[in-house]
Formats: sequence, C-alpha cells, structure tokens
Amino acid sequence: MLLSFVRIVKFSIQDISRNVWLTIATVTILVLALFSVNVLLTVEMLSRHAIEAVKEKVDISLYLKSDASEEQISSLRSQVSQMSRVKKVLYTSKADALRFFREKNKDNPEVLTALRELGRNPLSPSLIIMPNSADEAPMLIDEIKKMDSDIIESRDFADNALILEKINGITNKVKEVGLFIISIFIFTSMLVAYNSIKVAIYTHRREIEIMRLVGAPNTFIYLPFVFSGIIYALMSVLIIIAIFYPFLGLLQPYLEVFFMDYNINIINYFLDNFWVIFSLQFVAVSLISVLSSWLAIRRYARV
Amino acid sequence: MIKLINVSKSYLKNIEILHDINLYIEAGEFVSLVGQSGSGKTTLVKVLIGEERVGGGRVIIGDWDITRISKREVPYLRRQIGVIFQDFKLLPKKTLWENVAFALEVCGQSPAKIEKIVSSVMRLVGLEDKKNRYPHEVSGGEQQRTAIARALVHQPKILLADEPTGNLDSINANEIIDLLERINKFGTTVILVTHNREIVNQLKKRVITIDNGKVVSDQEKGKYLL
Ligand SMILES: Nc1ncnc2c1ncn2[C@@H]1O[C@H](COP(=O)(O)OP(=O)(O)OP(=O)(O)O)[C@@H](O)[C@H]1O
Ligand SMILES: [Mg+2]
Repeated sequence: MLLSFVRIVKFSIQDISRNVWLTIATVTILVLALFSVNVLLTVEMLSRHAIEAVKEKVDISLYLKSDASEEQISSLRSQVSQMSRVKKVLYTSKADALRFFREKNKDNPEVLTALRELGRNPLSPSLIIMPNSADEAPMLIDEIKKMDSDIIESRDFADNALILEKINGITNKVKEVGLFIISIFIFTSMLVAYNSIKVAIYTHRREIEIMRLVGAPNTFIYLPFVFSGIIYALMSVLIIIAIFYPFLGLLQPYLEVFFMDYNINIINYFLDNFWVIFSLQFVAVSLISVLSSWLAIRRYARV
Repeated sequence: MIKLINVSKSYLKNIEILHDINLYIEAGEFVSLVGQSGSGKTTLVKVLIGEERVGGGRVIIGDWDITRISKREVPYLRRQIGVIFQDFKLLPKKTLWENVAFALEVCGQSPAKIEKIVSSVMRLVGLEDKKNRYPHEVSGGEQQRTAIARALVHQPKILLADEPTGNLDSINANEIIDLLERINKFGTTVILVTHNREIVNQLKKRVITIDNGKVVSDQEKGKYLL
C-alpha cells in the first residue's frame, strides 16, 4: 500500500517535471485565481473594519458658549449623563480645547502665530456625547436636538448614515466585480488544468498502454494524474502565501494613512487566520484541479 | 483453457468482423493463427485480452466467462494472459531491465520480489548480459525477447503473440519462435498470430486459418494454407 503510494507519487512528479511549461501555466492561472480571492477577502475585511470604525465613531458634540460658567456646564453634563441612551460624556474645557488645537497645529506656525496675536482663547468648551450603541444614535440625536439650554451654542451631529451607506455601496460593487473575476478565473483554471492533464496523459500514452497490457490496476493508472492535480493546488497555495504577504506589506502603509485612528493591520489579520484562510483555499483549489484532472482522465485515459 | 462459442464481433453496425467463431484450445497447446490482412486476427486477440467485447456468443478463459467482463476485472485477466506485439511496445527511456520491472512495479510488487522475478525471466530469454542497455542499443530480436520477458512476469497461463516476428529478419525471427516453443514446453499455452509461411510450416503444430472473420480450417500439425 505504502509502496504503491510512493510509486504513484514518483510517477506524478515525473509527469509534472516532463511537462514543466504546462505545470507553470497551470500553477500561474491557479495563483491568479487565488490572488483575486485573497484581494477580495482583504476588501471584505477592510470594509467590515471601516464600518465598525465609523459606527464606533458616532458621537455628538455640543459646543458651549465661551462665557458659560463651570456650574452651568457641570449641571448640563450631569443632565446629559442621565439620559438612558448615553454611554459617556466627555468634557473639553476651553483650556483643553486650546491645548488640542495647539497640538494639532504644531507643524503649522502661521496658525500658531495668528493665535498668539489674537491674545485670548477663541475656542469654546464642548461636551462630546457617545451613545450606548450606534443603533441608538438617531434616537439620541433627536433627544439632544430637543434639549433646551442657554449655554448651548451649537450642536454637531456627525452624519454617519451617509458614510456607512457609501462604504456599503463601494464594498458591494467591489464584491460583485470580484466574484465575477473569480468565477472567470475558476473557469479558466479548470480549462487549463484539464488541458495539462490531457497533455500529461498524451505524453504518457505509451506507459498507460503498457500498464493496461500488463494488468496494472486502474487506480494505479489514474491516481498519479489526480495526485498531479493536488500538487498543482499545493504549489499554487504555497506561491500565493509567498507573494501575498509582501503584497499586504506594500499595502499596509497606505491603509494606515487611510484608517488613521483605527489601528487596522491586515497582515496580522492574515497571520491570525492563516490556517483557516489557506487550508480552505488549498481544499478549494484541490477540488477544482482534481475535478478537471478527473474529467480529462475519464476522457483520455479511458479508465 | 480457451473456449470461443459462436463468437461474433462488429466495430460498426452492419459490418461484422468475426462471424460465428467456435474454437477450443487446450491448456499447453501451441497454436498458430493465420489469415490474410484484415481477416480479424488482431480483433480475436483483443477479444481474448478483454480489450474488445463480443457482439454475440461466449468467451471463456480457464473457467472464467469473460464475455461481459467489467473494466475493473480486466487487470486480473491481463495478469493471466501475456501479450506481445509486432512493435515490441518498450519504453525507450528505460533500460531492458527497467522495462521488465515496470510491469511489476505498476502492479504493486515489492522491490525484492521484482529483483527476483526480473532476473529469472531475463535469464530465461537470455538477456542477462544486456539488461542495462536501452532498447535502441539492442537488436529487434533482443527487444522482442525483452517484451516476452515482460509478458512472463506474472507467470501467465497463456501467451498471445500477435505477429511477433513481423519486424524481424529470419534469423531473429527463428530465435523468437524457438523461445516461444521453449516457453510452451514449460506448460504455457501459446497462440502465435503470423503471416510467415516458413515459420508455420516448420513448426508442425496446430494451425487455425481465418478468412474474412470465419474459421476456414483447423488442422493438427497443419501447414500454411492460403
Ligand atoms: N477499431 C476498429 N474500428 C473499426 N474497424 C476496425 C477496427 N479495428 C479493426 N477494424 C477492422 O476489422 C477488420 C479486421 O481487423 P484486424 O486488425 O483484426 O485484422 P488482422 O487480421 O489482424 O490484419 P493484419 O494481418 O493486417 O494485422 C479490418 O477490416 C479492420 O479494418
Ligand atoms: Mg493484426
């Protein structure tokens, strides 16, 4: 049994090495298919994070009059804190606001000069209100809108619904296009794998004829080709692992800029889920290539 | 050993290649099968090794009715029937020894057994000293002897030879026939398909003549008729 297995593997490796170019073509197309799958996976993962991040970011700012007294402010703050949909209220005093403003513009001397020339703190104190959950935000916004207080200068509601809609829209488009591309790649992969095995069978037609003649079991005749299909799959998954991480490495700096505050690391995501992602892909690609091999075997090796 | 009962065969509808063939060949016989080109000899060989199914009648090998043999059973039949052809069917990139060993490898035999069986059949056909040569480095007769060695690795009860001397000069041809006779003496049933009048006449063994898919004569110690 083991002996037969070793011989089948030997035969399959022979078949692969005798048709190097076909092997390269098959593996290349499988790698392209896998690449598109992984890009889609990346997009999916990023959009999930982006949506979460945006939802998380739902906050409502109340800008207060600069001459509001500390007592007025703290009574407003406790009034808001007691609302049932509120998770947390952060207070930014005039001085804090100025500090944040300076920090934010530290590389911008003109702004700082202008500020210094002004000679006083022009910023308003504010309350930042976080809802319990993103879903409760619209209702909370309604309540805050209705709230009546002398010291409120303006109310600012980040309109996240629109952003979420946009992200969803883009993601869905990308997924649609991605699935289309993937299905084309799967179809092409099957054609190419089918063809490679067909040629491999043709190159081995004398061996196959002799195997038949001397009474080799059918399994021995076709298993090497099935095995070749699995080797194609294995090679393509190993190659995609080798090229996809550097690719993510190139992508990461841009993502860091784009998702500045959200601490997204796609390399870690792919590392954490390494086995799930790539063993599933190996199984899928094996199925594709074994199925095509099998069809070619049925047709051309007549087993 | 071999029984053909009312066997008929056609590849395409309406064109019958074998008509109502009845043959009985006993174990240990040496039979020559002669007939003009296109008379159906190779077709008969293919029926015997389970490569073609008959349209009517029954085919029995030993006590096995192979008339409706399934694809999965064919390998077992092949291990009981050795076959050689005019074109030797050796693998050019393997040595003579490897060519013979290949037949055992693909049937899952262990290396120790392969070593033992291959060296014994190579001795039988007289090729021990050339076992490491490649087919293109030996004569046609030696290539055919390698093919015979390969056909014998499973110790078949029957050896089918479809025009084994077709590509050989008369000296090499005679050597092959001698070898087949020797194998027959060990008890193997040999069926020799041939065109060669001299060989048939020298053999003085049973001769079956087919013409147009029919058995037209069947003689003990026969002569080449056509
Ligand atoms: N696969 C096939 N499909 C259709 N017709 C076939 C096939 N194989 C053989 N034939 C026909 O069957 C007839 C007998 O062929 P076969 O090969 O058995 O003859 P043969 O006696 O072996 O001839 P030869 O002495 O030339 O080898 C021929 O007319 C041939 O054309
Ligand atoms: Mg013929």
